Amino acid sequence: MPEQHEPDGAVSAAGMGGAMDLAAAEAATLERTPGGPGGAGPRGRPRSLWSDAWRDLRRNPVFLGSALVILFLVLISLWPSLITSGNPLTCDLAKAQEGSQPGHPFGFDGQGCDVYTRTVYGARASVTVGVCATLGVAVLGSVLGGLAGFFGGLGDAVLSRLTDVFFAIPVVLGGLVLLSVVTSNTVWPVVGFMVLLGWPQISRIARGAVITARQNDYVQAARALGASPARILLRHIAPNAVAPVIVVATIALGTYIALEATLSYLGVGLKPPSVSWGIDISAASPYIRNAPHALLWPSGALAITVLAFIMLGDAVRDALDPRLR
Amino acid sequence: MAEPILEVSGLVKHYPLTRGILFKKQTGAVKAVDGVDFTLAKGETLGLVGESGCGKSTVARLLCNLERPTAGSIRFKGEEITRLSGRALKAVRRNIQMVFQDPYTSLNPRMTVGDIIGEPFEIHPEAAPRGDRRRRVRELLDVVGLDPEYVNRYPHQFSGGQRQRIGIARGLALRPEIIVADEPVSALDVSVQAQVINLLERLQAEFDLSYVFIAHDLSIVRHIADRVGVMYLGRIVETGSDTQIYDHPTHPYTQALLSAVPVPDPAAREHRERIILTGEVPSPTDIPSGCRFRTRCWKARERCALEVPALAVPEAFRHTSGPAAHDSACHFAEEKQVVPVEEHGNGPG
Amino acid sequence: MLLEVRDLHVEFRTRDGVARAVNGVSCQVAAGETLAVLGESGSGKSVTAQAVLGILDMPPGRITAGEVFFRGRDLLKLKEDERRRVRGAELAMIFQDALSALNPVLSVGDQLGEMFVVHRGMSKRDARARAVELMERVRIPGAAQRVRDYPHQFSGGMRQRIMIAMALALEPALVIADEPTTALDVTVQAQVMDLLAELQRAYTMGLVLITHDLGVVADVADRIAVMYAGRIVESAPVHALYKAPAHPYTRGLLDSIPRLDRKGRELYAIKGLPPNLMRIPSGCAFHPRCPMARDVCRTDEPPLHAVDEDRGSACHFWRECLDG
Repeated sequence: MPEQHEPDGAVSAAGMGGAMDLAAAEAATLERTPGGPGGAGPRGRPRSLWSDAWRDLRRNPVFLGSALVILFLVLISLWPSLITSGNPLTCDLAKAQEGSQPGHPFGFDGQGCDVYTRTVYGARASVTVGVCATLGVAVLGSVLGGLAGFFGGLGDAVLSRLTDVFFAIPVVLGGLVLLSVVTSNTVWPVVGFMVLLGWPQISRIARGAVITARQNDYVQAARALGASPARILLRHIAPNAVAPVIVVATIALGTYIALEATLSYLGVGLKPPSVSWGIDISAASPYIRNAPHALLWPSGALAITVLAFIMLGDAVRDALDPRLR
Repeated sequence: MAEPILEVSGLVKHYPLTRGILFKKQTGAVKAVDGVDFTLAKGETLGLVGESGCGKSTVARLLCNLERPTAGSIRFKGEEITRLSGRALKAVRRNIQMVFQDPYTSLNPRMTVGDIIGEPFEIHPEAAPRGDRRRRVRELLDVVGLDPEYVNRYPHQFSGGQRQRIGIARGLALRPEIIVADEPVSALDVSVQAQVINLLERLQAEFDLSYVFIAHDLSIVRHIADRVGVMYLGRIVETGSDTQIYDHPTHPYTQALLSAVPVPDPAAREHRERIILTGEVPSPTDIPSGCRFRTRCWKARERCALEVPALAVPEAFRHTSGPAAHDSACHFAEEKQVVPVEEHGNGPG
Repeated sequence: MLLEVRDLHVEFRTRDGVARAVNGVSCQVAAGETLAVLGESGSGKSVTAQAVLGILDMPPGRITAGEVFFRGRDLLKLKEDERRRVRGAELAMIFQDALSALNPVLSVGDQLGEMFVVHRGMSKRDARARAVELMERVRIPGAAQRVRDYPHQFSGGMRQRIMIAMALALEPALVIADEPTTALDVTVQAQVMDLLAELQRAYTMGLVLITHDLGVVADVADRIAVMYAGRIVESAPVHALYKAPAHPYTRGLLDSIPRLDRKGRELYAIKGLPPNLMRIPSGCAFHPRCPMARDVCRTDEPPLHAVDEDRGSACHFWRECLDG
C-alpha cells in the first residue's frame, strides 16, 4: 500500500475504512508486547496522534453517546419546529401550573405556557450561550496564556497581572454594571461579557500547562533541529498542554449556561419574550412546591447538556493521550 | 591531530539573577560556564566530565545553539556560529545534533516514533525528498537496532534503552557531523548502558561522527573518549588524552575525582588510596578568587588565592615529554597515580 | 542470624495483570555484616526491602508467601503497631532521595528529635540536644547552628547525611539502604559511603545495601545477592563473586561495565531487555538473554545450587560458568 501524501489528518484516516481497521487491529495486538519480537506487522500507513485519536474516538461509546446528544441539541436549536409544533409564547394563564396532559407532556408553567415547547425553544439561547462563551473563552484564554507562557518576558508579566485584576472582578456585579447599558435583547452581549470575564481562568491554566510542557527535553530537541517557534508551539507544546484546558472549559460550559440564567433573573441577561432555560428555571423556582415539573424539565435539559459536553471533553482528552490506549 | 571541526574559545555563559516582577534589577549572576576552550577533531570523541553544577550541560546547550553565550566563540569548520540567526543558523543545526540524558522527557509522548524520527526531514525538507522520508525513517530505526515496524508506536511503549535509541535515530536523521551527547546513558540500566555505548561507537565509525560526550561517570568516559576535559565550576581544569588524564593526572581535583570512583574489584579496596575532599562545591554565583578549586584543595597556598592558574602544561613538566606533560590549571601540579593498576585478568568476554 | 528472609513472594495486581515482583527470595544478614543486593530496575530488589520493612503499598502489592525473621520474630506476622515499634528503633531505612524523604516544613532538628520523643519518650529539649549530637556524628559542619535549618537549605550530600543520622538515631540493629548514593556526585558519594561504613563498624549493625552499582558493591560489601526477575540468581562472598561469577547474568554485568583502570575495546552487552514481570519467561527467567542457554533452561527452573558452603548459583550450568 504505497502512499505519498501527508501522514496526518483525521479526515483521510477516517476514510480509509476496512483496510485501516485491519491494520489497527494487528497493531493493537503487537502493542501489547512492547519490546517483544515484533516485525510481522503489515505495512500500514503511517499514523499520527490525530488519526489514532480519531480511530479511538469512533469506538468509544462515551464519545458516540455524548456526540449524539450534542448533535440533537444543535438540531433542535437550529430548527425547534422539528419536534414541536407549539409556540413558546402562546400561554394560557388558566392552565398555569397544570401537570402533564395529552398534547402537553411536560405540563404548564406559572404563566400557563407549555413547558415542553419552551424547553425545546430554550435550547437555542442556552446552547448558544454555553458553546459560544466556552469557545470564546477557550480560544482567547489559551492563545493569550499559551503565548505568554511560551515567550515569557514582559508580555507574560503584564498578562499575569492583568489576569489578577480580572479575577478580582465579581462576576454578578460586573454583569449588572456592564450589561445594564446594553439594549439589544440577543445572546451576544451576554456571550461577550462571559468571554471578557472568563478568559483569565483558561489563560492561567494554559500558561501553566505550556510552561510545564516547554521545559521538556523534546522541546529542546525540536529547537536543536531548527524547528520554528510556531512548529514547536503547535506540534510539541499544544498537544501536551491542551488536556487541562479541555477539562476546565467543558466544566465551565455548564457554569456559563447557569450564569446566563442568573443574569436573566437579575434582569440584565435575556429578557422576555426571549426564551432560555435560564429564564425558565429562575421563573419556575419560586413555585417548586406547587409545580416542580416546570423547574424539572428545563433543569434536566441543562444537566444533560452539561453532562454531554463534559463527557465529550473527557473522551477527547483521553483519546489525545496515547498512554491510555 | 586531524583538522579541528569545532573550536571553542573563551566560552562564557552567565545567567543574571534578577529581582522584581515587572521591572527587573540584576543582583548577581550564576556563572555556569566561565571561560572554556577546547577543540574537537574530525572523528574524535571529546569527553567532558565533572560533577553536577560544573557547567558541562550548559556547554552542551551552547554547542547546540540552544542558548546564546555571554561571551566567547564557537567555530564550526572555521565559521563562527554563536551569532547566527535565521537560515544560516538552521543550516548549522543540521551539522550539530544532540542526544539527551532523559529518555522519558526527550521524546514527545504524543508523537509516533515515525513522526519523531521524521520530524528533522519536515523541518529540513531539503535533506530528503518527500517521497523518500518514510523509507529513511525505517532505515534509521534499523540503523539504531530497532524494528522498522515500530514507526506507528508511541514512546511510552518502549523501555528506556529503546527510547534512547529512538533519540539517537532522531539525532542522526540529518547526517550531522557532530553529536553532542549529554549523559546519554546515565538513566539506563547497566546491561542496557553497554548496548547503547556500543551503538554510539558503531555509529561513529559508520557515519564518521565526532562526539562531545558529556558524563559524570568517569569509567564510561574513559571507555569512549579519545580526549578528556575535566570541568570544575564552569572551567576545564585539566585536559589531555585518556591515558594522560586517567593514568597520569596532575590536577588535584582530577586526582580526587578519580580516587573517589568505586572500582568494581573488591581486591582493590584494601590498597587503594582515597582522596576524600572536604567541604562543598562553592556556589557558582560566588566563585573563589584565584584558583576556583582552592577552597577544597589540600595543596592550596597563598598564591592560589591571588593568581588564576592558566590551563597550560605546568612549569614542572614543560620540558619533559612524558604523559604528565599535558594541560593542567594548577600552580602546584604533580603527577599522582590514583587509579589502581592491576593485571588485566578477566578482560571483557 | 539478625535477619532471615525465607521464600518471600510479592506480587502486584495492576489493570493489565499480575506482576510477580518477588518470586521466592531467601537471604540472611548477620550482625556487623554488609549484604549488597544487586539488581537492575525491575529486579525486585527495592520491593524485597519494602516487604521486609513493612512499608510496601498494599494494595496493589501483596505478600503471597514467605517469612521474614528479624531477631527471631516473624515480622510478617506482627501487628502493625508492633511492627511500627520495631521499625525505626531496631530496623531502619535510608532512601535514595533524601529531599523527598525528609519533611520540607519541619527543621532537621525537629525531625531528628522526633525519633527520640516518639520512641524514647524524651523531652523536646533533650531530643534537640541529641539531634545536634547526631548531626555532629555524621559530620555536618556547624551542627549546633544548622539544627534549625530546613531540608532544602542543605546540599544533596548533607541531606543524605541527615537521612543517615535519622536512620541511626536509635542505634538500630539493621539498616536497609536503598540506593543511598545514587543521586550524589562521585566525590560526595565517596564521603557518604565512607561515613556509612564507619558508623556500621562503630555500632556493629547489619547493613543491607540495595544498589545497581557494581563499583559501590565492590567497595563496601561482604556478601552479594544478585537479583534478576524477582529471584536471587547468585549469592556469594564479594571476593569470590568478582573473581569468578557462577551465573551468566553476573558475568554479563561484570563484563558490560566500562572500567576506570583500562581502556576497553567493545563492551560486552547482554542482549535483549530485562523481562516484563507480568510475563516472566518459563524455566530460567534469564534464558532468552543467556549466551549459555540450552533446552533445559527453557523448561526447568534452576534451583539455587550450592557452589560452595557459602555460595549459591541458580544456573543449571554454574560449573561451566565458573570455569569461564
